[in-house]
Amino acid sequence: MRPHRTRLGLIIGKTILAFAGFMAVFPLAWTALNSLKNNVDIITRVPRLVFSPTFDNIRYIIGRDSVMTGLYNSVIACCCAVLIGVVLGLPAAYTVARYPNRFAGDIQFFVLSLRFLPPVAVAIPLMVIWLQIGLYDTLPALIVTYSLLTISVIMWLAIPAFQAVPKEIEEAAFVDGYGAYSVFWRIALPVAARSLIGAVAFSFVLVWNEFLIALMLSSSNAKTLPIVASELSQQGMNVPWGILNASVVLLSLPPLLFLGVLSGFLNSVFRQKKT
Amino acid sequence: MRRRSSLPVTFLVPTLAILLVLSMVPTLYAIVIALQNRELSSSDYSWVWLSNFIDLFLDRRFLNAVWVSVKWEIVTVVATMVVAIGLGVLMFEVASPRLRNIYCLLFIIPVLLPRVSAAFVWKFAYHPLYGIATYPYRLITGGLIFDPLSKPSTALFAVASVDVWQWGLFFAVIVLKLLETLPPQPIEAARLDHAKRWQIHAYVTLPMLKAPLISLMFVKMIESLRSFDLIYVMTRGGPGVATETLDMYAFSQGFIESGKVSYASAMAVLMMIATVITFTMLWKRVQA
Repeated sequence: MRPHRTRLGLIIGKTILAFAGFMAVFPLAWTALNSLKNNVDIITRVPRLVFSPTFDNIRYIIGRDSVMTGLYNSVIACCCAVLIGVVLGLPAAYTVARYPNRFAGDIQFFVLSLRFLPPVAVAIPLMVIWLQIGLYDTLPALIVTYSLLTISVIMWLAIPAFQAVPKEIEEAAFVDGYGAYSVFWRIALPVAARSLIGAVAFSFVLVWNEFLIALMLSSSNAKTLPIVASELSQQGMNVPWGILNASVVLLSLPPLLFLGVLSGFLNSVFRQKKT
Repeated sequence: MRRRSSLPVTFLVPTLAILLVLSMVPTLYAIVIALQNRELSSSDYSWVWLSNFIDLFLDRRFLNAVWVSVKWEIVTVVATMVVAIGLGVLMFEVASPRLRNIYCLLFIIPVLLPRVSAAFVWKFAYHPLYGIATYPYRLITGGLIFDPLSKPSTALFAVASVDVWQWGLFFAVIVLKLLETLPPQPIEAARLDHAKRWQIHAYVTLPMLKAPLISLMFVKMIESLRSFDLIYVMTRGGPGVATETLDMYAFSQGFIESGKVSYASAMAVLMMIATVITFTMLWKRVQA
């Protein structure tokens, strides 16, 4: 009786898992499919799997100025903010990891606590401040605001990555006459590189996906792609659904490019814990 | 050798100074604005001290928003942890190493999506007439209409399901990785004692993972505070005020309906105080 029951359990378990895997990708795949449909094929009571594909939606999206401006703004804002996060965050994280001092714990908590701040609480005063300085609705304002996010996230994830670098390698380099800075450049950075790339990719995805701050800090010029996409979807019920689906696909592609890097990062984090 | 270098100062001080400025200026300014009566439409203002806060506590819509936020927090955190532990244990039990890798990759996809994308994907899936998620219901009932996003009783859960779709699947991957780090001996011992599979997990493996699971829950509690994008795209706080969380209400007071920036800021300050106190206490407890 017993083996029979466990086999049944196995089949049920595998079915549930397969269903979950299906649920993970199907909604997005369906959206991608819809972006290739004419409106008639989308607005049907019975979902249509067979249809004659069209590239009109994608062509329309790519040809639209507002979408292209949003894409440009998103790319510039994210890349600059991530760059600032790397330049300021990585050295600071290395210091916290390698030069123990009384405040190390407090610094780590401070960096984490920045994540507790409700985004509205940051966005409202910053909007007033940027308005007064005259930088409201500009990319520099957005980049500076996002830097707070990227610096703190990169620091938070890079501290354990630097701690995982074997101390002996660094000590050996010191003995060989390397200075403190060249140990950082030539030893710690390359050795920790894999985990660091994961941390940086994560911070990119975080700011690329950011919505509330971008919504409050832009009115026309500095709109990022998520804002443009959400505006398309607010046009009531007679919207061209195909175009909307195409814009969602465009918005979702960049983070998905990092899928491999981030899952590798996850694996390396947990492999460290094991040893 | 390390001690005498100038590296700690040059590497750490500028970064911390910038972080401090970037975080303290908005935080303090939020408090200043909350004590005034600024509006978006005019540039003059005066100090009104605590009257915004007093108004808030008499505002029934604010109290509703507090309640909705608490509900949102509980529903999403609990459902995410249940889904994560359930699927994580299932993968550990029934999936081969190769299948595990495939599932891990698939389960990370939803969390990588911009919330705006996820919200839109599901908003259309929940469409009463053309949605793919409501299609089975139409099929079974012969064409009856079910609109989860516009019924006050289901709207919050419909939006929460998207959050759980993103985070529950992702956390399942982490739960699996945590289970894989456990030493095999206690599990073997329990198996020799004829413990059932679910008993092994309920009494052996999950208690061994108590600390990391609590940290995971802590992370989810923080992330659940960021519900704005989902709600903004899917329901805009509606129907009525059924899904109006605090950040949604603050946004609509400050920018959509009346432009009362100070009133919105007072709300943000209260949220900030509540979250900072709660999470500092929880964090100290998790670390202890």
